[in-house]
Amino acid sequence: MSPVGPLLLATFLFCAGVYGVIARRNAVLVLLSVELMLNAVNINLVTFQNLLFPDDPAVTGQMFALFIIGVAAAEVGVGLAIVFNMFRNRASVDVDDADLMRW
Amino acid sequence: MEPLLDYAWVVVVLPLLSAVLITAFGKQLPGKGSELGIASLAISWLLALGIAWETFVNSPIEPVERAIDWSPLGGGFIFELGILVDGLTAVMLLLVTTVSFMVHIYSREYMRGEVRFTYFFAMLSLFTFSMLLLVVSNNLLQAVIGWELVGLCSYLLIGFYWEGKSNQDAGNKAFMTTKFGDVGLIVGVIVLSAGMFSMTDTPFNILQINEAAAAGQLSTTTVVLGMLMIFLGCVSKSGQMPLHVWLPDAMAGPTPVSALIHAATMVTAGVFLLARLFPVVAQSQAVMATIAIFGVITLFFGGLLALVQDDLKKILAYSTISQLGYMVAAIGVGGYTASVFHLFTHGFFKALLFLGAGSLIHAVHSNNISDMGGLARAMPHTFWTFIVGSLALAGFPLTAGFFSKDEILIAGDLWAGAGFVTGSLVYWVGLAAAFVTTFYMARACFLIFAGENRSHHAPHESGKLILAPLMVLAVLSVASGYLLSPFSPEQPNFETWTATPILDEEASYPFAQESGEADAEHSAVGVVGDGVLASGTVMAAEKEGPVKVLHGVPTWHPDLLAMVLVLFSLAVFLAYRFYGKGLPERDPTLSMGRFTDVLVAKYGFDDFGYRYIVVPVRDRLSAAASYSSNVLIDGVVAGVGRATKNAATTTYRVVDQQVIDGSINGAAFSAAWWSEKLKRIQSGDVQRYAGVLVAGTIVLVLAFAAAR
Repeated sequence: MSPVGPLLLATFLFCAGVYGVIARRNAVLVLLSVELMLNAVNINLVTFQNLLFPDDPAVTGQMFALFIIGVAAAEVGVGLAIVFNMFRNRASVDVDDADLMRW
Repeated sequence: MEPLLDYAWVVVVLPLLSAVLITAFGKQLPGKGSELGIASLAISWLLALGIAWETFVNSPIEPVERAIDWSPLGGGFIFELGILVDGLTAVMLLLVTTVSFMVHIYSREYMRGEVRFTYFFAMLSLFTFSMLLLVVSNNLLQAVIGWELVGLCSYLLIGFYWEGKSNQDAGNKAFMTTKFGDVGLIVGVIVLSAGMFSMTDTPFNILQINEAAAAGQLSTTTVVLGMLMIFLGCVSKSGQMPLHVWLPDAMAGPTPVSALIHAATMVTAGVFLLARLFPVVAQSQAVMATIAIFGVITLFFGGLLALVQDDLKKILAYSTISQLGYMVAAIGVGGYTASVFHLFTHGFFKALLFLGAGSLIHAVHSNNISDMGGLARAMPHTFWTFIVGSLALAGFPLTAGFFSKDEILIAGDLWAGAGFVTGSLVYWVGLAAAFVTTFYMARACFLIFAGENRSHHAPHESGKLILAPLMVLAVLSVASGYLLSPFSPEQPNFETWTATPILDEEASYPFAQESGEADAEHSAVGVVGDGVLASGTVMAAEKEGPVKVLHGVPTWHPDLLAMVLVLFSLAVFLAYRFYGKGLPERDPTLSMGRFTDVLVAKYGFDDFGYRYIVVPVRDRLSAAASYSSNVLIDGVVAGVGRATKNAATTTYRVVDQQVIDGSINGAAFSAAWWSEKLKRIQSGDVQRYAGVLVAGTIVLVLAFAAAR
């Protein structure tokens, strides 16, 4: 199977994620975009596992992908908790409003 | 016997301790410090008495020397700090502590009510310590230290009543005149010890110098130059002409101080040093002749000055000068024992006379004998003690002064017999001066005690503390003479007591070798068997070989005794004729025309000194020194200061304020400026950060790709 399709898909997903992180104002959507990038990485891991080590019984790429899915779920949990707190304090989930760290 | 002699240093240290304690605690004590001084002197005196007894009964003894090495400078020689105890030291210890002890007791009454009473006692003790330090020292450097301390203390005490300008001047005069001689002393010490450097590690050691000199190991130049320089120190310190000028002025001090200076602690230092270095003196005829001539001039012309004085203390001062002349002259004619003996007896009767004078002055509130008169009845104890002292000073037979002074005359006679003209000078001039001495003392005694009371006070006898020392000293003024008299021919006597073993053993008076033409009458056997009055160290010229020193037995000498008695009677008779009925209309001693003028002008020494030394030094040298100090040296110093200040100011303004501060401030300002610009980056907008991050990543990736 040609790796071009999955790699193109991963590239698209990653670029969409980067765009989302940079451009979206809504904090929830920023988190969503981060998930998109993570999944692009997952696709890449699985693709290259199959392309480079198709006979490896340990299937390291797939294992990494599973770990990343787990970690991403935890990360979303923490991220959404932060977003909730931010909403509770400011009545807004716009990331432009979270500028306490400026000069 | 040795253990006691080892503790001679205690005698010295106690007065120092007393001086320190009086200075520190004197004012808090009930006796204002006087009890400390008296107690320490009492202990010192007892110890000195013990030492004197040990050395006397065992005489002649080998000197006991104890010293510690102390070399602050290193340099291949050792500076000792130590004691040398022999008969001479013991004599001096006894004399100094006795007189000082008496003066301490006396001063407690005499100085009562003085403002600086405590200070006075501290100084008295320090003065005593200085003299004792000089007396016991076993090396010349230590002796110089003691010598200078004596000079310092005399300066402080002569100027004791420093409120008066004339008293300050007297102190200055004493200090500077003696300081002039001190320069000679120091040069002499250096010259003598320079000759010793090649022989020993301890070139200042007195015993070693004496031994080397007696063994002929010192070159003639060393001996002559060294001893003449040391003699210059003695001339100034022991009041020999022409440097005696400070001594009469020193009467400005309190009377007990005068007693101390004249009897024990100051003027005797010079004679003591000559006696201590006598083996060196005996090496050179030139030195001995010089010493004898200075002594003869002083003993005669110093005595004459006393004739015209009205101030009792000045009469005594000039008599001291005259008696010191006797001692110095005796050294110059080989009369070592005679000189030390006269020093010893003179100390007692001169202290007695000064303390008696103090008692009289207290009674009539005047120093002048023209203000006294008729005091014999009012002050009986002062009267008889003063008369005893005067008799001793005049050399009346059977007093101490008789034995010691005639000893000097005999020494002169013996020296003349050995073929030296200075001996005859001492004999005849000494005899003439004895007449003068008797006359001026008789004049003083008649004017003080006979006739009517001319004072404006009702005189009364002084207190017990004043009279007790007078009586003790009066007894000593008679008794001390019997240490060396025909009454006690058996040894030990004063002569064996102070005998110098070095002179006994070695060939003395090397220059006297060719005096073979001395008449046989005065040969060794002749002298001793010839009925000498009180022959101490007999010096005998043999036909061949060096002159030997013999221990003679004191015997009567009728011709001298007769002359002394005739002169004494004549002088007293003349004085009675003139002064027996009180103060005459015209004082005969003041009616001798030009002669009186010369005496009143003190031979012009003071005028000469004032005009040619004091004035030039003050107006020219001091002015020049002041100019060089104030203008030249101060100018340089001020210039350096100003330049330094300018340099510092410039450095401060340019380097510190502009360069260093500027760079630091500049760094701070630039940091502030940049941070103001750069802080805009920190916008707090996380998405912008992410954008920049992505852009940066893309740039990096492209850069790496291009680089491949």
